[in-house]
Amino acid sequence: MSLSVRAVHRSFGTVRALDGVSLEARPGAVTALIGPNGSGKTTLLLILAGLLVPDAGEVRVGGYDVAVHGYAARARTGWMPDAFGTWDSLTAREVLRTFAAAYRMAPDRGAARAAELLETVHLTEFADRPASVLSRGQKQRLGLARALVHDPEVLLLDEPASGLDPRSRVDLRVLLRRLAAEGRTVLVSSHVLTELDEMADDAVFLSRGRTAASGSVASAEAGPRTWRLRALSFPALTRWLDSAGAAWRPDDDADGRGAGPDSGPDSGPGAGPGAGPGGVLVEVQGEEGAAALLRDAVAAGVPVTSLAPAGGALEQAYLALEEERR
Amino acid sequence: MTTEVTLDDAAPTPGGDPAPSGSPAEQGPWSLSWHGVRTVAVLDLRQRVRSTRWVVALVVWFVVVGAVTALTWAAVGAAFPGTPPGVDTSGMGVSAQVLRGPTIFGVVVFFVLFLGLLVSPTLSATSINGDRAAGTLATLQVTLLTPGEIAVGKLVAAWVAALAFLAAGVPFLVVALAAGGTPVVSVVVCLVVLAVLLAVVCAIGLGFSALSPRTSGSAVLTFLAVAGLTVLSPIVFALTLPAVTQEEPVRVWTTSGDYRWDDDEPPTCTWQTVTMSRPHTERTWWLLAVNPFVILADAAPEVRVEETVYTADPLAAIRTGVREARTGPAAEEDWCGGFAELTSGSAQSPVAQSPVAEREPDRSVVWPWGLAANLALGGAGLAIAVRRLAIPQRTLPRGTRVA
Repeated sequence: MSLSVRAVHRSFGTVRALDGVSLEARPGAVTALIGPNGSGKTTLLLILAGLLVPDAGEVRVGGYDVAVHGYAARARTGWMPDAFGTWDSLTAREVLRTFAAAYRMAPDRGAARAAELLETVHLTEFADRPASVLSRGQKQRLGLARALVHDPEVLLLDEPASGLDPRSRVDLRVLLRRLAAEGRTVLVSSHVLTELDEMADDAVFLSRGRTAASGSVASAEAGPRTWRLRALSFPALTRWLDSAGAAWRPDDDADGRGAGPDSGPDSGPGAGPGAGPGGVLVEVQGEEGAAALLRDAVAAGVPVTSLAPAGGALEQAYLALEEERR
Repeated sequence: MTTEVTLDDAAPTPGGDPAPSGSPAEQGPWSLSWHGVRTVAVLDLRQRVRSTRWVVALVVWFVVVGAVTALTWAAVGAAFPGTPPGVDTSGMGVSAQVLRGPTIFGVVVFFVLFLGLLVSPTLSATSINGDRAAGTLATLQVTLLTPGEIAVGKLVAAWVAALAFLAAGVPFLVVALAAGGTPVVSVVVCLVVLAVLLAVVCAIGLGFSALSPRTSGSAVLTFLAVAGLTVLSPIVFALTLPAVTQEEPVRVWTTSGDYRWDDDEPPTCTWQTVTMSRPHTERTWWLLAVNPFVILADAAPEVRVEETVYTADPLAAIRTGVREARTGPAAEEDWCGGFAELTSGSAQSPVAQSPVAEREPDRSVVWPWGLAANLALGGAGLAIAVRRLAIPQRTLPRGTRVA
């Protein structure tokens, strides 16, 4: 494991930011770090980056104990904080070359690396403009390039997608997948769970400074999930579901879009949207279960228009965890 | 029986750390490399040069120092009418030239120091907490730069900026030199001492910027420290005078009590013991010695002038004053010799020969003590900065977001 955290504790005064976090991230995979605000994600990343001493526990990055070989660990770690600044009067190119120098790279190698990274994050046309004129998303991309300057084995990214436009988000996803494919360890914290669904291989859930759950995204997708099933006729759909003995809930989330005109707040649960088209939420076991459901519904003559997962696998897992804690 | 000795300083850790070969060796916080220091210094200077109106500041500085030089020149010229500045008339004019030069030089050097002490704190007092507030410090700390390299690099950047101001003052020192009476070596010595003193102030500011979470706080603290050295030290010296002044018996060579002043005869002098209060400034002279102005004045080479020529050299006045203070009062005093000379008209007359040894003021220099004390303060500032920049940190600076 190129990144492992074992039973790490860290308090700030009376605030217990981390209360026994353990996690591992494999090389060649993107690991998502998920948790509500204040769950200790940033503290954990600060410890992994070598900025904070853990009160207890062991942290290894790139094979090095951060507490003992901090310097060697830092040489292998690229860290992108959630809130960071850039030297406003330096150009993007100068920022990257300065960081290359700070990682003790030779000037010509630093210059080459800066040009390469500017190309990677699509900032070449802004290369020689001061960083102060960059937009938030562009600064974010520059921050990512900065974390990659020394070709680190381990990447720690704290909310890398915040402020990015849709195009840049796709680019980020592709870039992180590529970095992982090169054998690097990528740890990403984010709130945008649907996005992590698409880029993460593994997920670690933090809650109140503890590891609440961890596992692969693929297994979360294979497990029971909620799917959204829509048909042209709501009564036909519910009738079929009832006769088949399947549990369903009306799609509260559909707010007017699918629920039909006569579904008022006082219609009561299960009242449904009259004779018009409508949708329900059903619990389905994996994609194979979804395929079976669709086949049976169509065979029974239900005018099905769509069947899709309601929310991402990580989002559902996250909400399920929140539910358990209540 | 064999004992295994591990010579590697990267000894295996308890956990059996694999420590792959080719990994960079652990660096101590004070480990310095020219490359690292230069990287930080260049970064800071670039940022400073582009983001501040430093050209305007330099021009203002140049104009102000120039104006003070011109005013001093005019004032000194007015104090000695009949010798218009720059006009070398007869013998009278030459002596006027001699006394004008050191005065102008002293005033200009002091003014450059004064302005330098005002400007330098602003150059370094925000360099660490300012970066922290801007969110650029942590990203630099996680690189392979050592805390020593970051701190020294920032100090060098601030110092280079301070030296730019000093350089803008050099033309006026040369102008003062042209007024004559000041050896060229004075300019060199004064510039070196000024440069060192400004480095000290920059280092103090750096220390405060590492300590204080707010940039305004560290700027105020640095100004207070500079004020403490320059203003507070002479005030405390003056206020402690009563404390070090004591009533004590002193042997005095003086006229006998029944001597009549209208007598033509020279007085007969005898030893008497008189009780009087005298300030023992040899116990408090160091309060003056830490003052940057005293250090500068004492370090400047003495200007040798003929005894008949009156000079108003501020450097010499301070130098003499502080050395007198360090010497303290003499064990014996001669109250008689003057009268003897006046009455007999000849110092060779037997009565005039005073048994009191002529008191030699301590000629040993004071400035090394003061400079050492200042350098110690600057060193402390730098050490604090390095300590505070070292990662991983046990405590977070106040105001830093936690999770």
